[in-house]
Amino acid sequence: MAELYVKPGNKERGWNDPPQFSYGLQTQAGGPKRTSLTKRVAAPQDGSPRVGPPPPSRPPLVGSSLSSTQPTNFPVVESETLLEDVLTPLEQALEDCRGHTKKQVCDDISRRLALLQEQWAGGKLSMPVKKRMALLVQELSSHQWDAADDIHRSLMVDHVTEVSQWMVGVKRLIAEKRILSSEEEANEEKSTATAEQNQTVPGIQQAP
Amino acid sequence: MATYLEFIQQNEERDGVRFSWNVWPSSRLEATRMVVPLACLLTPLKERPDLPPVQYEPVLCSRPTCKAILNPLCQVDYRARLWACNFCFQRNQFPPAYAGISEVNQPAELMPQFSTIEYVVQRGPQCPLIFLYVVDTCLEEDDLQALKESLQMSLSLLPPDSLVGLITFGRMVQVHELSCEGISKSYVFRGTKDLTAKQIQDMLGLTKPTVPVQPVQPAQPHEQPFVSSRFLQPVHKIDMNLTDLLGELQRDPWPVPQGKRPLRSTGVAVSIAVGLLEGTFPNTGARIMLFMGGPPTQGPGMVVGDELKVPIRSWHDIEKDNARFMKKATKHYEMLANRAAANGHCIDIYACALDQTGLLEMKCCTNLTGGYMVMGDSFNTSLFKQTFQRIFSKDFNGHFRMAFGATLEVKTSRELKIAGAIGPCVSLNVKGPCVSENELGVGGTSQWKICGLDPTSTLGIYFEVVSQGGRGAVQFVTHYQHSSTQRRIRVTTVARNWADAQSQLKHIEAAFDQEAAAVLMARLGVFRAESEEGPDVLRWLDRQLIRLCQKFGQYNKEDPTSFRLSDSFSLYPQFMFHLRRSPFLQVFNNSPDESSCYRHHFARQDLTQSLIMIQPILYSYSFHGPPEPVLLDSSSILPDRILLMDTFFQIVIYLGETIAQWQKAGYQDMPEYENFKHLLQAPLDDAQEILQARFPMPRYINTEHGGSQARFLLSKVNPSQTHNNLYAWGQETGAPILTDDVSLQVFMDHLKKLAVSSAC
Repeated sequence: MAELYVKPGNKERGWNDPPQFSYGLQTQAGGPKRTSLTKRVAAPQDGSPRVGPPPPSRPPLVGSSLSSTQPTNFPVVESETLLEDVLTPLEQALEDCRGHTKKQVCDDISRRLALLQEQWAGGKLSMPVKKRMALLVQELSSHQWDAADDIHRSLMVDHVTEVSQWMVGVKRLIAEKRILSSEEEANEEKSTATAEQNQTVPGIQQAP
Repeated sequence: MATYLEFIQQNEERDGVRFSWNVWPSSRLEATRMVVPLACLLTPLKERPDLPPVQYEPVLCSRPTCKAILNPLCQVDYRARLWACNFCFQRNQFPPAYAGISEVNQPAELMPQFSTIEYVVQRGPQCPLIFLYVVDTCLEEDDLQALKESLQMSLSLLPPDSLVGLITFGRMVQVHELSCEGISKSYVFRGTKDLTAKQIQDMLGLTKPTVPVQPVQPAQPHEQPFVSSRFLQPVHKIDMNLTDLLGELQRDPWPVPQGKRPLRSTGVAVSIAVGLLEGTFPNTGARIMLFMGGPPTQGPGMVVGDELKVPIRSWHDIEKDNARFMKKATKHYEMLANRAAANGHCIDIYACALDQTGLLEMKCCTNLTGGYMVMGDSFNTSLFKQTFQRIFSKDFNGHFRMAFGATLEVKTSRELKIAGAIGPCVSLNVKGPCVSENELGVGGTSQWKICGLDPTSTLGIYFEVVSQGGRGAVQFVTHYQHSSTQRRIRVTTVARNWADAQSQLKHIEAAFDQEAAAVLMARLGVFRAESEEGPDVLRWLDRQLIRLCQKFGQYNKEDPTSFRLSDSFSLYPQFMFHLRRSPFLQVFNNSPDESSCYRHHFARQDLTQSLIMIQPILYSYSFHGPPEPVLLDSSSILPDRILLMDTFFQIVIYLGETIAQWQKAGYQDMPEYENFKHLLQAPLDDAQEILQARFPMPRYINTEHGGSQARFLLSKVNPSQTHNNLYAWGQETGAPILTDDVSLQVFMDHLKKLAVSSAC
């Protein structure tokens, strides 16, 4: 699942730079708004502004019940995402594609996977990137192409500096695996269809 | 009246249309006396999650000069299988496919709830979307790196079948040939000499071969039968190579001497981009996306010389006729914009620099084609990165919101004529019986082309009343290329009643939509401001307001204190007051580029956003209750309030004096004062909701009483209290604004005096 976070903008380059929303938050936007801030107040026709009371010296106190709404923070033990867990399935997927995809493309992907390995081993990739790559690989192995694609997009949007050099190889790998598996499915369907045809008894309708 | 507000809102939600008048004056003379013209704001591709498109083609009226589309206003004879066109009264036979229809089995397009309906057109080839990146390499290292990364990221956001191309420029212009194997090649052009479309196409080898094409290999299963060019390749084929190519882009190698600007050949770069697309993919949806980090300094379209000591033109220079490059440059870009529009291509400009970049001269590129203009400080800012990402945002069906190659046709019943349109469009010069001779905006036509549009793109369409008849009706037909590459037709048919202005003025008054009227008049004002002097536009606006108040105000002659406006007009003078002070009509304190950018966004947004631009929203947060809207007035600036102001271009959070002191004292960290923490957080959460969705991304200012950035708030609020009248109310309420600007009260006083005077 893509992370949902907000980072401050680049105050050095733009002093009123707006905050940066993660890919997950941006794709979420579009649902019904909580508060629609679009109302206006008409100016009084006679033109005199209201006069209000002076403010107190302290903010008003909360009621006596000190209900703490903050959840207690359990220390989360994060299991280290292993390079092998990510790289092995990717390399396996590449091998699967070798018969079907052009050599040039496979070499290109292979080169980028090597780059991924180098950066990971060299400690250049941050924890969120590693975690999300593990998720991506899981989705890829379960043939969830759209989900894997979405994770790759979220990584490109949120962590482009870290991933841009090799992520396009992963993207291509997902695409090639998708094509390969749909061809395999089509072939399977054809063979089961012919097998079924040989088995149906003429005159009897098979329920769909 | 509550019922009319509901009526207006329902119609906007269903049809994306808001009329200035919802009951129409029945004679031409009376209509002109209404002051505000009969006009509407139309959002052709308004998002309608509840409206699935129908998979058949629309039924047209058979009269060749009419060709209106079957709609709920048509009379139908089910037994005889005939329908009567409500625009020309021609009786038409239903096509054979409609044999089974009846009163209880109506086709969707006859049902009243489908006054807006979308058809999917099946015929014709489906062309992929095309994105041509034109990238300035005269950037600082950090900026170039950030831009490269944004472009690489965009390759993951583009649909795999779309075509993508790359042109880079600095002193020279390089057109990159995209290929999957071997050495990367590019064609280099001098940046000083403009070339004709034919020359560009010849030099790039794009002219069609005279010999018959040799038989091609059988197509791969997933390859498009569509031709791609060497310079524009499908993303799924070229993404890895293009990622590398982008990664390897270097800064423009030509050294920049001390005291000089880099030589940037933007004019030739855009010319080559337009020529390339003209020669390879005319008449199909394409975006030219121009990224520039500074002004064009050489070749055709240059906006300033390369000497840093000669600054780029300001409004003062333009007024004194001291902008030497402006006319020629504007002409160059207008020529390119018109060519691109003729081919259905749109041009975006992403300008990120601390100084001006020439948006004034280049604005026609975006404004005529429906492209986007984004102005930022640097490519390495969240403002640019997120705005750029949002171009590729998807709707609830997973399709891009952007649409291409739209043609809008307007048909009216006999009593109305079309005076013109104001928005991101060009005229298609289609004359006809419903075209008026009096032009407002882009007139003399009943059809316009909008090459790039999205669900918020809105046009202002102006009408002329010529007579009275049955029920006045208007049909808006938008043909366009959906981002899924399907061709679609969106049809909206609306009708309104007439009333005699002499005897039924109250009905007409009650049905006045002051919000729509304000935006439509504002668009007219901004349109005028492009060719007239600023003070003249303000005088025109003031005159219209006075006339409107004279016509619709209730008053005793020569008695200003008796002046009253009914509810349906109560906000209108306020809108006009804020419009006069807005950056759309006041160029003071803005550079020509900034004014151009503000006007660009104003002329295309929907009603709600346009109103925010005219009169910013102000909400007040306090312990006294939920957040409430307050007057955009200095009296709303109170010590124990937090204000959230939305001007569309900026989101400003302002802490009142006492709130700021409490925050400094750290009360928000004490558990007993937890509600203060919530109070501080509430405007931040609301601001975040706005920031998450808006395009372009606004600037974000978090400030407090006495802060330097409080000026954003202080310059927008009505200065009811200034240093001149500080002690007039007896007790200090709100912060005085240090200005000599007229306040709303003074403005209203003058307005009332002039309205009730018999001299006007």
